[in-house]
Formats: sequence, structure tokens, C-alpha cells
Amino acid sequence: MKDDFYIGYQDQSPPSLARSTRRLVVALAMIVAGITALVAARQSPAEPGTFEFGVKRSFEGVLQENPLPMLRSVSPDGAVTNYLLVGAGKHGLPAFARGHDGQRVRFQGTVIQKGPGVLVELNDPESFLVLGPSTAAENRAADKSIGEVVLTGELVDTKCYFGVMRPATGKVHRACAVRCLSGGVPPGLLVRDDQGGAVVVLLSGPNARPLRFDVAWAARRVRAEGRLTWRGSFPCLEVVRLSLADSELP
Amino acid sequence: MSTTYRAIDWNRQKRVYDGTLGGLLALGLGLFVGISVLVSPNITVETLLIRGSSVSALLLLHVILCIGPLARLNPRFLPLLYNRRHLGVTLFLLALLHGAFATVQFHALGDENPLVSVLTAYGRDYRVFADGRINLPHFPFEPFGVLALFLFFLMAATSHDFWLRNLGASFWKAMHLGVYLAYGSVLVHVALGVLQSERGAIFPGLLAVGFVVVAGLHLAAARKETRIDRGKPLGEADGYAETCRVEDVAEGRGKVVLVAGQRIALFRHQGRIHATSNVCRHQGGPVGEGRIVDGCITCPWHGWNYQPEDGCSPPPFTEVLETYDTRIQDGRVWVRTIANPPRQHCAGTAVTAT
Repeated sequence: MKDDFYIGYQDQSPPSLARSTRRLVVALAMIVAGITALVAARQSPAEPGTFEFGVKRSFEGVLQENPLPMLRSVSPDGAVTNYLLVGAGKHGLPAFARGHDGQRVRFQGTVIQKGPGVLVELNDPESFLVLGPSTAAENRAADKSIGEVVLTGELVDTKCYFGVMRPATGKVHRACAVRCLSGGVPPGLLVRDDQGGAVVVLLSGPNARPLRFDVAWAARRVRAEGRLTWRGSFPCLEVVRLSLADSELP
Repeated sequence: MSTTYRAIDWNRQKRVYDGTLGGLLALGLGLFVGISVLVSPNITVETLLIRGSSVSALLLLHVILCIGPLARLNPRFLPLLYNRRHLGVTLFLLALLHGAFATVQFHALGDENPLVSVLTAYGRDYRVFADGRINLPHFPFEPFGVLALFLFFLMAATSHDFWLRNLGASFWKAMHLGVYLAYGSVLVHVALGVLQSERGAIFPGLLAVGFVVVAGLHLAAARKETRIDRGKPLGEADGYAETCRVEDVAEGRGKVVLVAGQRIALFRHQGRIHATSNVCRHQGGPVGEGRIVDGCITCPWHGWNYQPEDGCSPPPFTEVLETYDTRIQDGRVWVRTIANPPRQHCAGTAVTAT
């Protein structure tokens, strides 16, 4: 070793240096493996969710554009299912589906699902058909009012949260949430309890209008006051006041 | 050594080096993906790619930063130093993969140009609070990643010796010291980004350990270097400075000595003592820690050659080291404090003449 001299452009390294280099590489491999395994094992696990990317299913029902874009579908046995509607990419209800509030429509779209909540991405304008006015049975209210509440949680974009991105919360995802909310994806309030449970409450504005808010609050904790209603599997909050949570203020 | 911009000559050692690098990367990425899928089965492929490339890039950056001081502390690490630029190019490619996937994932298909969105998505949080404090938890972390990626690109794109030659060694070296700015930028990127989402002590702890290792090795190497410069000045007479004993310079070997505050490389070749500048014209390597190979002074970092008699690289190369006259007096080597004119033939001093 003492007399060995390494020259990289020669074909062979001196044998004793080659031996010590091999030992260094083995040590390096152990360090790489150890640190990588530790980081991988200790990362926060992604929450469940499904995005059936590339798969299209048919949907039919009554389109409700405001305050939250939804499709209300009534099965032959009278069961009502509400689907929250979003557009392709980081966009809300696409232009081809607007202006048909209260009408029966049929289209193909891609399912995004977390638990009982199902979103549909409308990504096939060719398949979108307006079938005519809705029936009285379809318009019968199936919403369940809960009452006035004050909730605090993280402002999320529902498209990512329900399954397009996993994880879809926190600082790293913040820019994406800003883009999605800015693009019209319905906002949600991610409320967690002490037992680790979490629910996303869809946020709308008063008087059946979309919520007006500052998209830069995405991924930050906000406090929302309003009237809570269950619309199918979705808890929805008609917000009368929205502000940054006290913990977010300087 | 290369005089033109041409494809790299691959030899067995370079293939082994790159093969080992590829193997270690595959090991790291494979482990990360395998364990991630086990502990977090709902994770998406995109997230795996973004996280896997970032972890690999961060590890590789630490390795790159440690190789330099390790090689200064122990020549056993020199084989890792020789092709370090391959690590730098690989680091850039990993960082590019990370940046490209993150940009597409988090910024594309929206209502703003993704490249603009990277810097402006929540731009208001650049502003300081009314009381002058920076909004650290919400301060955008993406620009620090962009800056690091840009620096990695600059260094990777100019890693070929063609650029070193055309930009000049000093400018090239200064530009490549940008790796420290890039490292700082990466640390801030991670601290303001993922560390704001991932709770627990493991991630900040690992980052802190990495920083301590990098800083500690640099301090240890600097301490070793300054020890050379703090050597007691010996005698000086007739424009010559006394350096060391003749027997301290072994045949075919070099020795670094201090002459008028400057490091000078002494070599004994074919029974004669020669003195040259200690700074290699390539990347500033310590020539005096090299050897005489095939009649030429050979730098330990990348094997650049210089003829001991005139300091010139053998043709077709044109680099020149400063040479100094020497003399031997009472068994000690004396070196003239003023360099010879470039390329001047200097026979050195025969050891037997003492």
C-alpha cells in the first residue's frame, strides 16, 4: 500500500489499492443501504385512495353546477348517489359540462375514490350528452342538515385528496393544491380528530354559490363557520366565514 | 488529460467505477422502492420516483462532498476522487429527474405555466411579516431546489477538461466550488419542504449528521493543510530558502516544503533534486504528493504529468509548472525563492554532489 500509487487512466489499479477500494465500496454500500432503508421505513405512509387512470365508466343523472358541481344519480330502487365532479388535470368542472344545471346528462369519466366519497373526472367531451330536464323524483331533496358548526382543519383540493395524489396534504403538496384550487377544483376542509380519524368537508359559499377564498391558504390550517349538510356521502359546509386558524397567524 | 473536446476514453477502471456507481444507485433506489411499497402500499409511482430520486441525490451529494477531504486525509480514497466528475453528472441527472417529476406532478396541467408556478404558486409567503420576521414554515422551498439544480447543471455541463482549459483553471475551480452553495441550497430546500411535512426526529437528525460529517471532514482536512503552512521558517540566504534534509526526498517521490510562504514540490529523479510549484495546472492538486512515473512528475489527483527538468507537460500537452533552482548544502535542500522563467531547462541538483 505504502508504495502503491493510483493513476486512473491506467487499466489496472495496484492490487493492494484495489483491495482497499473494494473494502471502501462495501462500506459505502452498507451506509447507502442503511440510510435508504431508514428513510424509506420512516416516511409518512400515504393514505388510501383510488384514481382509475385510463379507465372510463358511464354515468347518468342530474347535473348540479352550484354550489358544488355534482351529479345526482338515482338508481331504479330509489337510492341516491352524489358524485363530485372535476375536470381533467388541475381543473374544476370543464366548460363543456357547464350551463346544464338541473338537467339530466350522461357522460363517461374516470373514478377517483376514497372511502364512500366518489369523484368523477370529466375527461371525455365527446361522450357528454344532455338528455333533458330532470324529473321530480330526481330533484327530491336527499340532503340531511346537521346545523351550524365551526371547523378547523387543512384546506385541501378534493381531487388530489380523494385519490389522485398520495400523499395529497402538507407543505410538499401545497403548490399543487394551490394550482388545483385556482383551477376550480372544489375545496375541502380536512378535519382530523384526536384518534387519527379524518374527514374532508366540502366547502361552498353562501346562497348556493361557490366559495370565494384565497387559494394561497391551500395546505394551511383554516377555520370555517357555517351550516353543515350531508349530501349523500359528502359532508358539505355552506361557509359564512373563513379565516386562517389562530395557529397560522404570526 | 485532454487537449480537445472529444469523447471520454473509457478504460477498465472507468468502467468499473461507473459500474459500481450504477450498482450502488440500483441498490439504494431498489431498497427505497421496495421498503416504501411495504410500509406505504398506497404510495403512487410518481411519489416513489420523486422521493427515491431525491434520497439518492442527497446521499450522492454527501458522498461527493466527503471524497475531497477524505482524499486529503488518506490517499486510500484517491481512487474515488479520480472520476468524481462522473458522480457530479449522475447527481445532476438524479436532481433533474426529481425536479422534472415534481414540476410535472405538482405544477403541470393547471392554470399557470408550470415553470412560473414553481416560483410563484404561493408567492405571497415570500413576504416578511409586519414585525420583520420571515414566515419560515410557509416560505416557498421550491426556489432553493431550482437554484441547486441550476448549479448542478452548470458543474455537470462544464465537467469536461475542455471547459477547464477554456474557462481557465481558476475560474473553473471557483465555479465548481459552487457545489457548496448548491449543498446549502439543498439543505434549505429540504428543511423548508419535506421537513415541514414529515414529523419526528429521524429526518432532521439524518440531515444534521450529514452536515456534521461533511463539515467535520473539511475541518480535519483544513487542519492537516494548515499544519504544513505553519511549519517554522528555516534559514534563508542568497535568495535561497532552507527546506529539508536530502534523505527526506526519496528517489521517485515528492515532498511538499514551504518556501517564502509558498508550497513547493521537491522531487528526486535519477539522483537529482528538482523543485516545482506544488499546484497542478489541472485542478490545483498537490503535485508534491505525487510520484515520478515514466520520468514525469505525476499529480496524485488525476495523473497529470510534468517533466521535472522544465516543468512542461510532455507533448502534445502544453501545461507548464513553475520550476525553482535548488542547491544542496550540508545535507539539506535549499530552494531559490524566485521561480525560473517558464519552460527554462533546470537540471536540478545532483545528490551525490553534496
